[in-house]
Amino acid sequence: MAKIALGCEPVVGSITSAKKKEYRVTNRLQEGKRPLYAVAFNFIDSRYFNVFATVGGNRVTVYQCLEGGVIAVLQSYIDEDKDESFYTVSWACNVDGAPLLVAGGSNGIVRVIDAGNERIHKSFIGHGDSINEIRTQALKPSLVISASKDESVRLWNVQTGICILIFAGAGGHRNEVLSVDFHPSDIYRIASCGMDNTVKIWSMKEFWTYVEKSFTWTDLPSKFPTKYVQFPVFIASVHTNYVDCNRWLGDFILSKSVDNEIVLWEPKMKEHSPGEGSADILQKYPVPECDIWFIKFSCDFQYKATAIGNREGKIFVWDLQTSPPVLISRLSHVQSKSPIRQTAMSVDGSTILSCCEDGTIWRWDVVASSS
Amino acid sequence: MPGIPLVARETTCSRGADQMCRQESRAQLSAEEEVAAEESLSIYCKPVELYNILQRRSIRNPSFLQRCLRYKIQAKNKKRIQMTVSLPATVNYGLQGQNLFPLRIILARPASSNEITENYDCFHFNRCCTLTSCAGDQAVSGIHAKFILPEMNKLSAEIKSGSLSVLFVSCVEASRDPMVASSSQSNVEGHCLLGKIPMELLLLSWEKSPNLNLGEKAEMLSTVEMRPYSVKPICLEENKCVSFQTAASSGTQSSLQQLQVVVSAEEVGARDRSAYDCYSYSDIPSSSLPHIMRLRTGNVIFNYKYYNNKLQKTEVTEDFTCPFCLVKCASFKGVRHHLTTSHDLFNFEFWVTEDYQAVNVSPKTDIWRTEIIADGVDPKLQTFLFCSRPLRRRRPKSLAQNAHHVHPLALDSNLPASFNELLDKTDGVSSAGPSHADPEFVPSLPGSNLAPPTMLQFAKTRKLSVERSDPKNRLQLQKRQFFHSHRAQPMALEQVLSDRDSEDEVDDDVADFEDRRMLDDFVDVTKDEKRIMHLWNSFVRKQRVLADGHTPWACEAFSRLHAQDLIQAPALLWCWRLFMIKLWNHGLLDARTMNNCNIILEKSWQQNQDNDDPMEAL
Repeated sequence: MAKIALGCEPVVGSITSAKKKEYRVTNRLQEGKRPLYAVAFNFIDSRYFNVFATVGGNRVTVYQCLEGGVIAVLQSYIDEDKDESFYTVSWACNVDGAPLLVAGGSNGIVRVIDAGNERIHKSFIGHGDSINEIRTQALKPSLVISASKDESVRLWNVQTGICILIFAGAGGHRNEVLSVDFHPSDIYRIASCGMDNTVKIWSMKEFWTYVEKSFTWTDLPSKFPTKYVQFPVFIASVHTNYVDCNRWLGDFILSKSVDNEIVLWEPKMKEHSPGEGSADILQKYPVPECDIWFIKFSCDFQYKATAIGNREGKIFVWDLQTSPPVLISRLSHVQSKSPIRQTAMSVDGSTILSCCEDGTIWRWDVVASSS
Repeated sequence: MPGIPLVARETTCSRGADQMCRQESRAQLSAEEEVAAEESLSIYCKPVELYNILQRRSIRNPSFLQRCLRYKIQAKNKKRIQMTVSLPATVNYGLQGQNLFPLRIILARPASSNEITENYDCFHFNRCCTLTSCAGDQAVSGIHAKFILPEMNKLSAEIKSGSLSVLFVSCVEASRDPMVASSSQSNVEGHCLLGKIPMELLLLSWEKSPNLNLGEKAEMLSTVEMRPYSVKPICLEENKCVSFQTAASSGTQSSLQQLQVVVSAEEVGARDRSAYDCYSYSDIPSSSLPHIMRLRTGNVIFNYKYYNNKLQKTEVTEDFTCPFCLVKCASFKGVRHHLTTSHDLFNFEFWVTEDYQAVNVSPKTDIWRTEIIADGVDPKLQTFLFCSRPLRRRRPKSLAQNAHHVHPLALDSNLPASFNELLDKTDGVSSAGPSHADPEFVPSLPGSNLAPPTMLQFAKTRKLSVERSDPKNRLQLQKRQFFHSHRAQPMALEQVLSDRDSEDEVDDDVADFEDRRMLDDFVDVTKDEKRIMHLWNSFVRKQRVLADGHTPWACEAFSRLHAQDLIQAPALLWCWRLFMIKLWNHGLLDARTMNNCNIILEKSWQQNQDNDDPMEAL
């Protein structure tokens, strides 16, 4: 736990809703009986901003949000292994811009689905255990990164199917890695967090030649000189329990544990002494009844707001870039009682999706403000 | 293998029933099947290689059986001339009444001059044949006198050195036949009739005969004049010797008698050969080659079955030669016994017809054990099971004690013989040296004085990685997916079968990177010091400098490797020198090596100077 100096106490947001925006349930879908663990809008390709994907069980489903709260099912993929349970999904695309879905789960296999051609594009084997999160590098959407129970984070090139880097080893995570995120502007930088209660920031600057090499690699993928990145540039102990979600907000990091709050903090690295440094906790976004692990928050395209569900099926929408934090809205519905594992905000934040433990998908649309 | 591959097969396969030489048309196979067939052929590689190793070992030290066999073959192939002397009945009919029989025929050499007494013709001889009747009579024995002579060239040389003769002796008084007299009655004299044919004469006629060396008989009828002599056997130092003296009473005897004799000669050892054997293959049109090869007696056809016995490769060996170890087996029976005993990694099917002898070879797949050693693996480094029963013989204890420090593992064929002998003599530790055909033990071959391993012709083109593991293990490798031990990436089969082991691989780039980062943490170290530390650390890691004893070498090699870097940055050079002094302080580096390092650097500097200022150098 980072020490907080006098006068540097974090700003805690008030949980009384400012009601800056009002959201209303416009649709509710029962996808199946199995819990849904992830939902994600496609932010990679502007043509498909209204397309989202969910994963649950051995199924990956692609939907489209239409006018008037309509959700259209576009595609559904079922893994050949009945026992597979997908935990995460992310949109990516190949160098030609064709949309790809990258999903991973309990089997530890990364499935890359070519959504344009409705077929599996590639499967990445390498992780020794289940995959907890996959994220796409928005600056180079062929690069995806996966966080796994095997205590490693792997960087993949979906174009060539190469495992480029493995972030693990002497300085790596000491327990399951639950979440990972690319820095929005610094292409070399990633942050990961997990069950060892830490958030680690890694740099792949020294290894960038291998990332470049992966795009032109024509030999067998298994012959690629995959490198281990053993030492992170920064290790933060902001939380005292599992850290199950982290996202970059500029150079700051948003992370959450099971303490009913999202924490915004600044990693302060010491020059010339990697691995050392301190975390300056800036703000806290309380989320009541959010004390179980594996609840992930999501942000709109511009990171203006974040939405997070809780154990009781309620959603809290926070304004991220105000200080003190402002709770934009608190969404609740009498029938939404199941834990919400993940939310997805549309590009402009006007639509919020939530996927629940009971296999339902809820769609909330912003109500045009009356004022 | 020594055989000649029957390449011209398709064109010459005239006989439909010629199953042995049938080769399935490869055209029926798809490309994939062909690859698979090629693959399956490679199972011959390992056993053949093993037998090659054994064969090379036996070049120096052939087994007893093979030595015997070799002698036998040599004896069989040694050409000799058998001379047969007989009296044709028809011509000598008139002589019968004159009671020339028993007629002694002797191949004799005149005694050297000092043994000759006056008036005596003295002859040495070894054997004396007795003719009891003329040829053509019903009598079975005693009509031929046979002499085995050395082969033509040798014979002519011998004849030229001292004249040999064939003597015909007929004793008048049979009761006092001095020829049969034992040495005790040596001085008994007798009278006889003596005729002579000089061997020069015979040789001359044989040499004229063109077909003698092709195995035909050369016959000559000649007339011998029989003159009366008095004969006396002499015994000289165990040599049989006989002397003849012109009978004083020659006039009183009836007169000369003439005897017609037939002397025939033929080559023995050559009779087995057929006319085909005498030609080299070069004169024969290739179309008829297979047929001839089948006809030659020593030729054995070997059919190597592969691809589930669907395909076969054929080769032919001459002189009953084993295709694996090139041992000549003298006969097809010999081939059979040799193959089944010496090459039990294969199954053999023997097939003999009038035209050919053939062997179908197929590899035994069940018994391929550790006898096959993977390629690229030094067998000496492999642990092997060494079973030996202690010798029962009693040996002096001191010898056994002497050898306690000796381990049979490190033996190879280059060791001095005395060392091997020593081992042979010890109880409990029996030698695994070259004299033992221990299949588990393959010494590293000296290579310099031995030919490179002769492999199956078709095996040479195989990829090494395929040969590396024996098929059983290979199959297991193919069955499941393997993952890289570091990256956990699924490996392609090619990688699995390659010889690289990633287990304790060190990623030099990453290690360098980490080393540099570790050094960056030091605050009280200058940049140059850090640099030299980094260069040294990475050098030591890459060269695996582990022991103190490696240090002198490492310093020299480091100086050589980084000479340019060091010269260009004097500060760096000083760091290096200080570091060497540190090593010297710790007793890891001797002064001479340090001096050498400095000389290396100096020379390099000198060279740089010369290159930089070419004018000055002039």
